[in-house]
Amino acid sequence: MPSFVNIILNILVTGLPCCLLALGIFLTYRILDFADLTAEGSFLMGATVTAAMVMYGINPFLATLAGCGAGAVCGFITGSLNRFLKIPKLLSGIITMTGASSIVMLIMGLANGTSSHFSNLMTLNIAPDSPQQTIYSIFWLWDSTNSIITAAVMTAIVIVVMFGIYYFFGTEYGMAIRTTGLNENMARSQGINTTAASITGVTLSNALIGLGGSLYVQKMGSLGVESATGYLVIGLASILIGEAIFGKRSFKNWIISVSLGSIVYFSIIEAAIKLNVPSGMMKLLYAVLIVIALCLPAIKKFFVVMWFKFAGTRFGQKVISFFVEIGRFFKKIGLAIGRFFKKIFFKIFKKGGKTDAEVN
Amino acid sequence: MLKLTNIVKSFNSTGKPEDQLTVLNGLNLTINDGEFVTIIGQNGSGKSTTMNLITGVIFPDSGTIELNGGDITKEKEYSRARYFGRVFQDPMMGTVAEMSVLENMEIAIRRGRRHSPIRWGFKKQHRELFINALKEFDLGLDKRLNAKAGTLSGGQRQALTLLMATMPQLPSHKSIRKDYVKFAYGDKEKAKEEVENAYKEGKARFLEKKKEILADKSLKKAEKREQIREAFNRFDNEVRKFDVTKPLLLLDEHTAALDPKTAKRVLTLTDKIVREKGFTTLMVTHNMKDALTYGDRLIMFAGGEIVLDVKGEEKKKLKIEDLLNRFETVN
Repeated sequence: MPSFVNIILNILVTGLPCCLLALGIFLTYRILDFADLTAEGSFLMGATVTAAMVMYGINPFLATLAGCGAGAVCGFITGSLNRFLKIPKLLSGIITMTGASSIVMLIMGLANGTSSHFSNLMTLNIAPDSPQQTIYSIFWLWDSTNSIITAAVMTAIVIVVMFGIYYFFGTEYGMAIRTTGLNENMARSQGINTTAASITGVTLSNALIGLGGSLYVQKMGSLGVESATGYLVIGLASILIGEAIFGKRSFKNWIISVSLGSIVYFSIIEAAIKLNVPSGMMKLLYAVLIVIALCLPAIKKFFVVMWFKFAGTRFGQKVISFFVEIGRFFKKIGLAIGRFFKKIFFKIFKKGGKTDAEVN
Repeated sequence: MLKLTNIVKSFNSTGKPEDQLTVLNGLNLTINDGEFVTIIGQNGSGKSTTMNLITGVIFPDSGTIELNGGDITKEKEYSRARYFGRVFQDPMMGTVAEMSVLENMEIAIRRGRRHSPIRWGFKKQHRELFINALKEFDLGLDKRLNAKAGTLSGGQRQALTLLMATMPQLPSHKSIRKDYVKFAYGDKEKAKEEVENAYKEGKARFLEKKKEILADKSLKKAEKREQIREAFNRFDNEVRKFDVTKPLLLLDEHTAALDPKTAKRVLTLTDKIVREKGFTTLMVTHNMKDALTYGDRLIMFAGGEIVLDVKGEEKKKLKIEDLLNRFETVN
């Protein structure tokens, strides 16, 4: 049993930072209609800035906030390149990403104190008694619960961010940003400053990605420029998997789908690791996963068509009616139990309310 | 009053001389308050360019655009959006397909106002307003507030856009004061003093009243809230007296993509709204019959110039044959 718990904790701990990444990419890719390749750069940037600050023993919350801010700066640059200098969206993302990797190496070099001022690897010393504290380690109580607390802190942050996104995109300005992404001409004719809205959106998205990077590095404890590549693809795959499995009926549903998508993605990766898939094959697995994610809607459609064909046959109808009968039976039982509890509830609290049976 | 003076607009002005295209060459046009103007003209005659110049999609090479006495030539499209309600030719353009009817209308009611990043975007009192407005339109949309705009038919979407364009505007107090000064004829300093004084006095009176109500111990909490709201509404009305911007309705071939029956319905609706609420309207159309039936002034564009401009009685006497003859003689 403990090993099962460990697997789940592992999935959460690797998947939750990527939830933020996926949410950030979701904001640009789905809401703003802005194919933003900055993601990789801002993820690395957020991670590096946080790691450097943690290395110097600065308050971890401040370090996380700084990582978030570093991501936001990357996003702001991309947005400005696109809006003010009229560079195409795809290209301005690539430019920022490329530029950011140099800055990242510079920060790493300065933090490591290398003579050439550049470095592409940094390692933190994360231990309960180390002066380098992370946002997880300041909550650590004793050894055996460390990973649980880490996962709990991450979950709390992700949930807060999800609520934040949901609230913000329901406010007046959030609605303006959504309008800008969906129909820019209409947005301008309705008095929305689309330049500002677009840049704000991209900034916000990259701030989330930077936060994801910062959570990631504080868990992993080490960061290499090479090891952090490919996160853009992971984020995109998470969005696609989430949408295909959990749907996008409403905005609320959509946000939850995207975040769960990355958990599902990492569950599959974790399963592959447990099944001893050689590490050389992992990239192929990523590719296959993305193909599956992309064609999930088509597969879903295929099954729906098959289902209708099945339901059309006489045998199929028999099977369906059998299950419907079972369903009705359980519904009856459920209603009876519900009525029973309602009666008890009103008897205890005497609110003067009527039960269902009395109303009927 | 909308006034275009000596507008020159050419496209591709940096290209070779033979590629340059001067669409408008010294256009002068004045549209008075409350006029319903129909504009006709062939493709490329400059009517769409004029519309785009008025709304700020493109800017003129030279010349000025004045609205109610204020110069808006250099104002950006989004910042002058609050003076115009627009309906486009393409039904897809005026609404967001992926958003619900309710969300679309919420965006429209805030046209030209600051979008707060904290205040929630949906309001209960707005909802009632929308339902009443939709009922007036009789489209069967008042029960489908949560339907995505993309699921509506072309006619319904165009009618919804029309409704959004004519929605009652609630500009903020600050923008009311600013616009009053901007659109004041003559002495702007005096106008500023006047509106600022009125605002300050009104606000002081409201705050005093509020203090009084809060100090009154005989009132219940709900009553207090009610009275404060009343006092605020009084203050609000005082400020709104200074609201000088009546939105101008710009209809750019808004029935061109609809079938004849729906087009007729949307046009009747347009006419009804314009007459009822007294909007100043510019309607571009290719249908000469519509241009003659609706509106009280007709303008014909040809080669970037106004070749025909008739009003009132004179317009009523016009027939389609006259217009066709005019078209022939111009070219």
